[in-house]
Amino acid sequence: MRRAYVMHAKLALQQMFAYRAGFFLGLLGNLFFLLSMFYLWKVLLTNPRFAHALGWNWSQMKAYLLIGFVTGILVSTFTDFTMANRVRTGDVALDLTRPIDYQKARFSETIGVALFEFGTAVSVGAIVVAVFGGMQPPTLQAGLLFAVSLLLVVPLKFGIIYMSGLVCFWTTNYLGVVWSRQAIVNIMSGALVPIVLFPGWLQTLANVLPFQAIVWTPGRIYLGTLQGSEALQSLAVQAAWGVGLWFLARLMWKVAVRKLVIQGG
Amino acid sequence: MAAASRITRPVALYARCLAVQIKAVLEYQADFWILMMSSVLMNLVGFVFLWTIFSKIPDVNGWSFWQVVVIYALVIVAEGVGSLFFEGAWNLAFLVNRGELDFMLLRPMSPIAQVMSCAIGMNGLGNLLLGGTLIGISLNHLAIHWTAARIAIALVLLVSAIAVKIGLNLATNASAFWIQSPFGAFAYSMHQLGDLARYPITIYALTVQALITVALPFAFVSFFPAAAVFSKNDWRVGGVELPLRWIGLATPLVAAYCLWMGVFLFRRGLRHYESAGN
Repeated sequence: MRRAYVMHAKLALQQMFAYRAGFFLGLLGNLFFLLSMFYLWKVLLTNPRFAHALGWNWSQMKAYLLIGFVTGILVSTFTDFTMANRVRTGDVALDLTRPIDYQKARFSETIGVALFEFGTAVSVGAIVVAVFGGMQPPTLQAGLLFAVSLLLVVPLKFGIIYMSGLVCFWTTNYLGVVWSRQAIVNIMSGALVPIVLFPGWLQTLANVLPFQAIVWTPGRIYLGTLQGSEALQSLAVQAAWGVGLWFLARLMWKVAVRKLVIQGG
Repeated sequence: MAAASRITRPVALYARCLAVQIKAVLEYQADFWILMMSSVLMNLVGFVFLWTIFSKIPDVNGWSFWQVVVIYALVIVAEGVGSLFFEGAWNLAFLVNRGELDFMLLRPMSPIAQVMSCAIGMNGLGNLLLGGTLIGISLNHLAIHWTAARIAIALVLLVSAIAVKIGLNLATNASAFWIQSPFGAFAYSMHQLGDLARYPITIYALTVQALITVALPFAFVSFFPAAAVFSKNDWRVGGVELPLRWIGLATPLVAAYCLWMGVFLFRRGLRHYESAGN
């Protein structure tokens, strides 16, 4: 049984290698976004009032933006697009007849792809560091906690993209769903603006949603603004969201599979 | 009569092609609403981003909040017009990849027009709605002295800015004739390069400014036309003060160049095209 899941992960990783040109061009898009953020924040932080409100200097902000870049690429849009395509072509009927758990199979694929995504994101990130330089390195303790936090981003983001992929069991147009999801994740994760700069009500909203655990939590752990028991608490919240979304997705699946219309034949 | 129909016939044909696409879209009404809402949401998030920043800072490189919103909204509007009327350009990669372009080459209508009108992005309607609203609100907040001449110039610049985006869309998507990929991945990453023009480009390093001003002039979709309407001057390049507002007035020329480049690359690509077969 376990071998079947490992196989799924391997196949997904191979597919990623086969279609790497598309992936790298997509990565270029993320890189342009990072570039615009770098220049914009550099100018913004020359204003002392702004720098004070944020509480970070330019070197720290660079590190934060880079973390947003890496977690943005990690578990991005492979699993959900594959799901959507298989619903559209009707191939999902085959997935349903297989004697393995649908959600676990998708999770295995996500892990396989995540290895590839993480490898490239870190290499590209290293180049960005080389070009822009002067990035704050973490303390040993912060570095270790950050690694755990980054790992916890994987199940959390899987829950989000898997559930948005399931929406395709209702609608055939996935593009709109992806756009909406990306918009919400972008703002509520703190990838665009560190959550501390939000007005009060938006901060409250962001803190009760799972998205802040994607960038805002690992970012602050890396920079050392979340330390000790506070950091451990945030890691627990991250893990809890990962588990919670997993079971929420199970519920959603039960409803979705009854709604599904198989196309073609 | 003959001269008139030479112009009206292609336009009427183009409208017919789009009308068919609208019928196809309205067959799936839920999809239509999802796409529309998502485009509004996506662009609204960008607005919230600007609003959050400017609540802490009065201006960015001499550009006030509402001026930056106009730059941002111009990108949204240009994308909206592109999606609504010229979305087919994004399908070129798919058409080439599947060899479906062959059918279009046999019909008595310009292949460019057929490709451009073979799809419609209803998300463009959301873009126009939000972008138009944002421009309206911004202009209301900005004390601009509107004369007849300024209004005329603003309208010409708006149309030109949109044409720049459409020309660049066609030009970058024409890459599909050379780069084999089932979707326009290259064009899409260039589209994201264009997102750099959502902010005053003076914040960027000189090479980045040159890239989006000269190589792929995305800055003429938003930044330069806005600079002309606001009579901006502060653009320093290597210690030299450049007349920003006058450069902005060159937007129609840049538009003509971009459209020409799009058509030129498409025709070049067509000559290069070998059908994938059916």
